[in-house]
Order: sequence, then structure tokens, then C-alpha cells
Amino acid sequence: MSAVSLPPVNPFAHKPSRTQALEKFVLGAFRAATYFILLCGLVVFADIIIKGVPTVVNGFKTTAQFPYVTNTFLFTAPESLYVFEHQGQAMEMGDKDYRAFREAAEAEAVAAGQPAPKFKATSYVYSAGGIWPCIVGTVLLVIGSMSIALVLGVCSAIFLNEYAKDGPVVRFIRLAILNLAGVPSIVFGLFGFGMFVIFCVWNVSLMAGWFTLAFMVLPVVITASEESLKAVPKGFREGSLALGATKWQTIRKNVLPYALPGILTSSILGIARVAGETAPIMFTAAYVVRDKLPWDVEKVGDFFFQGVMALPYHIYVVSSKIPQNEYTARVQYGTAFVFLAIVGLIATASILLRNNLRGRYKW
Amino acid sequence: MSPAPVAPPPQKPFVIQKARTRFFGLTLDETIRAFFGGNALMAVVVLALITFFLFREGSEFFGQNRESITLYRKAGLEYVDQMRAQQESHTALTRYLFDIRLRAAKHLTEEKGLSAADANAQLASLDEFAGRYSDTIEPVRGMVSELTDVAVAIKEKYTLSRDAEKERAQFIAAGMAAEAAEVKIIPVDFKVELAPLVGMTPAYVEAANGVSTAITALLATPPTVPAPALNARLQRFQELNQQYIASFPATQKRLETWDYQKPVPALDTFTGFILGKEWKTASFWQDWYGVVPLFIGSLMVSVIALFLAVPLGVGAAIYINQFASAREQRLVKPAIEFISAIPSVVLGFFGIAVLGQALRALSQVEALSWVPGFPFAERLNALTAGCLLALIAVPTIFTLAEDALNNVPRAFKEASFALGASRMQTILRIVVPASLSGIVSAILLGLGRVIGETMVVLLCAGNRIAIPDFTAGLTAFVQPVHTMTGIIAQEMGEVVRGEIHYRALFMVGLVLFLIALLINFLAQKIVRKYRVSIG
Repeated sequence: MSAVSLPPVNPFAHKPSRTQALEKFVLGAFRAATYFILLCGLVVFADIIIKGVPTVVNGFKTTAQFPYVTNTFLFTAPESLYVFEHQGQAMEMGDKDYRAFREAAEAEAVAAGQPAPKFKATSYVYSAGGIWPCIVGTVLLVIGSMSIALVLGVCSAIFLNEYAKDGPVVRFIRLAILNLAGVPSIVFGLFGFGMFVIFCVWNVSLMAGWFTLAFMVLPVVITASEESLKAVPKGFREGSLALGATKWQTIRKNVLPYALPGILTSSILGIARVAGETAPIMFTAAYVVRDKLPWDVEKVGDFFFQGVMALPYHIYVVSSKIPQNEYTARVQYGTAFVFLAIVGLIATASILLRNNLRGRYKW
Repeated sequence: MSPAPVAPPPQKPFVIQKARTRFFGLTLDETIRAFFGGNALMAVVVLALITFFLFREGSEFFGQNRESITLYRKAGLEYVDQMRAQQESHTALTRYLFDIRLRAAKHLTEEKGLSAADANAQLASLDEFAGRYSDTIEPVRGMVSELTDVAVAIKEKYTLSRDAEKERAQFIAAGMAAEAAEVKIIPVDFKVELAPLVGMTPAYVEAANGVSTAITALLATPPTVPAPALNARLQRFQELNQQYIASFPATQKRLETWDYQKPVPALDTFTGFILGKEWKTASFWQDWYGVVPLFIGSLMVSVIALFLAVPLGVGAAIYINQFASAREQRLVKPAIEFISAIPSVVLGFFGIAVLGQALRALSQVEALSWVPGFPFAERLNALTAGCLLALIAVPTIFTLAEDALNNVPRAFKEASFALGASRMQTILRIVVPASLSGIVSAILLGLGRVIGETMVVLLCAGNRIAIPDFTAGLTAFVQPVHTMTGIIAQEMGEVVRGEIHYRALFMVGLVLFLIALLINFLAQKIVRKYRVSIG
């Protein structure tokens, strides 16, 4: 005769209160927000990579001459794409191939004594060929503008960190730098157009683009350089000064060598910004299409005063000025992928190098 | 004779002699210092140059705009526009009537279950009424279209004569007197030209009176509608008509007192730009440069972007800073920074190619039809652009907010724990409030980033220059808009240098620049003023 044994109830068991449940929920929400952001970024990357990689991969062709392999997407200029039907077959070709094919077909028909075949082709601009001039243009723009920005930015940072004493002038300069960082890129474009293109009569040219981009990225470079200079311990300077070196000798021998790696790596972030911006170069440096490559100039001086094609502007053109369909999507996604890959690699390098550097110098 | 001066003893030269190199009277070190200082001033110089060149290219806008508005008045365009306004309000009323007709038909077919033919038969009287109502305006319409041609002709004539004057001035400047004398300038006497226009006033007043009597007569016998709800609408229609007719005398008075010589105040061109509700360019009638529709467009996409980005960015910052393990931090922080490296033009392309369609498909899902504005038909609209801008704003907000949270001293947290607060209480009531100034300034800088962004809005916002229809509530947020940054990027390539349109774009740029400076200023001010003293 025994009572039904109930499962033992622990009177001291922890009962989650409402507050605790709420706290758990809030924590979950924060975590969800974090991973949602990452998911969004991932979706953008994945979409462009998945649809863009085939364009680049399909571009690989073997050649008879030395490198034996080339990539028609990366290393040729953009062309129009012609889509047509020939003898019951759907065909698509780039501009040059299409003309050659047409002439050959007509000659063949004439030789056989038949009427020349009629070609009814739909054309899509920029949808065939590649993006070589754009890559070249972007690289040139980045190199030039970053050189200008680095010289100006590093010198500014040296002054602000080594020479300047806190005062109204320095505070004003710092305020200007902060404000410059917040100016929209399109305003830099307008300014570059007003000053370099019109006032200096440089027209749409590499020079105009270089200076516009350099001024835009200046605050980034100054901030990064100052941070690196600050990281060099005071003792380095004091030791040098105590030995009788002048201020400049101290900076040159005992500060800059230790700060330079940091300055350069942090400035890579500026490169990503320069390469990625479209608005400032729209009216200062970029051409929609240009047949000649930049080094194809008569005089050396002309090199600096020519417009170039650039990747970001090309993406804008192919995504807004031509219709979206299966023929144009290849070039659109391919260009976006190459561009994203370049900028992504630069950004990754900057982040990795920075983390690496942080661990290396410990004073 | 004075004694011979004693020669001073020859001084021994220093054993070590150091010649100081001097540039412009500065020592080497001072020169170097000056060089670096000059570079540091560059930021100030650039800022000054930006301001200067925006003003240089843009400031003439006001003079040119004033000229344009003066011509608008002198050529009688303004006069005709007053009549046109009257005609257009009638058209709006007709539309209201047709809306009632549509609702009535829907009521009959869907709720009463009548066939389309039966419903139409029942609505015959309403149809006849609507038809007669829309016909009442015909006399005015004819007159307005006639006068439009007259006014445009005057404007054309004046433009031609002004072009000829310019040509002559150019010839004279080039020293070609013979050619200059050959250029024919036909002067325009506005008074004579306007005579037929102004002469029409009595006829127009008569026609307008005819319209008002016709409407009154028509409204005396209102049609019947099948539902009481529609009756209320019909009542409202009557009221609107009475208001419309009541506005007639005022218009007539304006027409009668209208004077083509009345000068345009200088302030009008300024307010016309800042408060103007129309941005209309390259029209045959009159160009208007009002920044309001563009500003509202920019504001709307920014509001959407911040609405999405603030909870995400700040939430992620709190999570990463306060809850995440060290490893999670090491992985997630660079990943979010990496998102900020995605170029905006690539995001814009993503919006055109993928997101626009995806959002539209989402809006057409049956289960989501309760969301305001869903479903929508436009693929590219403020919402699409706003979502992408949110992705641009998130890294900025996240990084800066995380910094702000990081700066809260440990002691705050420890004290809170010591008093028995839970982790969540500590974070939400102590850590976040202590860093609130930093978080707010992070949000402001995110706003600055979003409002200045060009490529995404240019590609994805739909680019329709009109103030969205806010009467429909939140639906306005899925309408296509145009933005200040977008219009500069879109139209700058097409305008003629030195023309009013070109100047107007620089003015928009100047407005954008000032907004950016203001946002920056506020962000700095908030950080400095409301920082919880940490000591």
C-alpha cells in the first residue's frame, strides 16, 4: 500500500522571472541585429560573385603567342554586342567579329551566285568585349590621387602631431579636417568641375580627377597618419633631442621610420575609398567610352590632360543606360565583380595589415 | 690733432665656425616647420576653395532666375497661368466625380452582385451628370489654349531679340563693326504685344461666369447614388464646387489688376529657390528651380535608411561591445568594417538588378498586404534606395557607436553590478545612457553619410521629380523620388555651361554642402556638450 510517487519537486528550483525572459529576448534581438547586418552584406557579395565569376572565367582563352592564355573580358576594350539569327541559328557576337562574319557570309553568297543574306541584328552597347581601359583608368586615378594625398596628408599630420602646440590656429585646422571629412562626394565633384575643369582649363582630365580625389581622401590620410605618429612613444623623441639632434633630425631618424608602416597600411583604406567613388570623377575625369589607352599619346604632357574610362563609372553606365536582360547582365555582373574584387582585396589587405601591425610594435 | 685711434686687438676667430643656412631669413628647422605647417593649412584652404567655387559658379543663379521670372510676367505667362489654375481645379473636381462613379460601380458589382451591364444601366444618370459637368469648362479651356500660344509667341520673340543683342555684343567685342551693324534686332514692345492678351479679359470673365452658372444649374439636380457612403461624397463634391465658384471673383480681380510692369522683388528668386515646390527644366512654358521636391526626396530616403540602420547599427554595437566573446568580436568587427568598403555604385547596381524586383515581389505577397503601401508597382522607389543606404550607414553608425560604448569607464559598470543590477539593467540604464552623446553623434554622422550619397539614389530612387503624395500616409515612402545629389549627377552632364540650369545645380550643391557642414557641427557639438563627465 503505497501512494503514487510524485516526481520530487525542488522547491528551490530557479524559476525564470518575467524580467529574465525579457532580458533574454533583448539579448537575442541584439544578436539578431548583428548577424542580420552580416547576412545582408553576405547576400550582396554572394549575388555579385556567383553571377559575376562566370563572365571572368569564360573570358579565358588560349593564344598562340607567349603568355598562351589571355582573358578577353579583363584585357580587351568594350564593344557593342550583336544578337542575330543566321541560317536558323541564334548567334551573338562582338562588333568586330560581327562585321567580319557578315562580310564573309556576303562574300560567300556572292561567290555561290545567291542573293546576299539579310542580317537583322539587335545591338546592345558595351555588352561585348571587356573592361581593360576601365581597369587601367582606375589604377591610374588611384596611383595619382593617392600620391598627392599621401604627400599632403603625411606632411599635415607631421605638423599637427610634432610641431603644433594647441592653439586657436591648430584647433581651426582640426575643425576644418573634421568638416572636410563630412563633405558629400558629389560636392567634391562639383568643386573639381568648377575649379580644375573650368577655372584651370584642364578640361575633363586625369589631373582634374587626381586633385579632386586627393582632396576628398585627405582627411582619411591625415587622421590615419596622425594615429600612427601618436603611436611612436615620446621617449624616442626625447632621447634623440637629448643627444643634440634638431627637431627635424629627430623626426626623420627616430619618428618617421617607426610610423611609416602604420601610415601606409592605414592609408590603404583611403585607396579603397578613392577607387570606389564615382560621383567625384563623373564630371572631372571619366569618359563614357574612349578608344585609346592612356599611354597612347603623342606628347608626354598630353598624358596628364586626357580623360580616362574608370570602373565605377563604367558600372554606372552599363547599369543605368542599357536595358537589363540576359545579354547585358553578363557584362554588368562581370564588371561589378571585378570592381568589387579589387576594392575588396584592398580593404582586406588594409584590415589584415593593420591587425598584424598592431601586434608587432609594442613599446 | 686728435690722437691716433687705438687699433682694437685682433679678435681670435672661433675654432668651430658654423654657418647657418637661411631661407628667406628662416633657419633650416624653421623652414621645415613652415613647410609642414603650410601643408596642414591645406585642409582649411580646400574647404575655403570649395565654398568659393560653389559660390562663384552658383551665385549668378539669382540674377538669371530673376530675369527669367520677370520675363514670365512680362510675356504674359503669369497671366495665362492664373486662368489655367482655374481650369485645372475644375479638372481635379471632375476627377473626384469620376472616382465616385468608380466606387459606385464597384459597390454595385461586388456588394450587390449585379452584372457589369446592369450596374452601368443603374449609373446612367450619374454618367450623364459627370459628362455634362466635365463639359462645363470647355469655353474656358479653349480660351486658355489660345492664350497659351499667344504668350509663348511673345516669349519666343523676346528670346530671339535678346539672342540677336548678344550676337551683336559679341561682334562688337571682337571688333567687327560691319557685322555688328548687320545683326537685326527687333525690339519687343510688351505693351503692344500683350494687348490681345489683356484684351481678352472681359471675354474670359464672361466665360468664367458662364461656367459658374452652368455648374450651379447642374448641381441643382444632383444624381442619385446607390450607397449612403457615396452620398456623403457627393455632398462633399457639392461643397467643393461651392468653394470653387466662390474663388472666381478673386481670380477675376487678380486678372483685372494684373500688371506686366510690376517688378519682381529680389527676394522672390531666393524664396523661389528655397521654398519652390517645382523643379521643372527644359519646358516650353516656364522653367522653375525649386529645391523642395529634391530636399524632400533626400530627406525621405534618409529617414528610411536611418529607420533601418539605427536599430541595427546600435543594436550590433551594444551586442559586440557588451556581450560578444573576444573571438566573436575579432571576427565580426572587421566583417562589418568590410561592408563599408562595398562601393556605392555596386550597391546601386545590386538594387537595380536584384533588390528592386525582390522588394516588389515581397510587396505582392498576399500575407503582407496589411503593410502600408504594399503592394507597389514601381521597382525603383524611395524604399529600395533607403534599404541600400541603410547598408551604407550601418558600418558608420556601428563603428562610432561601438567606440562610444568602449569609452565608458569600467567603474560605472562595476558600481552598477555592486548595487545588484542585472547585466541588462546595467547596460541599458548605465552604459548606454553614459555613451548616449557618442551614439547620437554616430547617428548624425550616419545621416551625413546617407544624405550625401549619390550613386545609390541616382540608380535606385526612381528619379521622379515631384513631391510625393503625403495624403496617402506611409504610401508616400514607396513612391519614386529624386534627390539633391541625384539631380546634380544626372543633369550636370547635359546642361550648358553658364546657363541658369547649370547655376541652379551649383546652388543645389551649395545647399548640400551647408547641410553637411550643419550635420557635422551638430555632431561635434553634441559630443562636447552632453558628454557625461568621466572622472
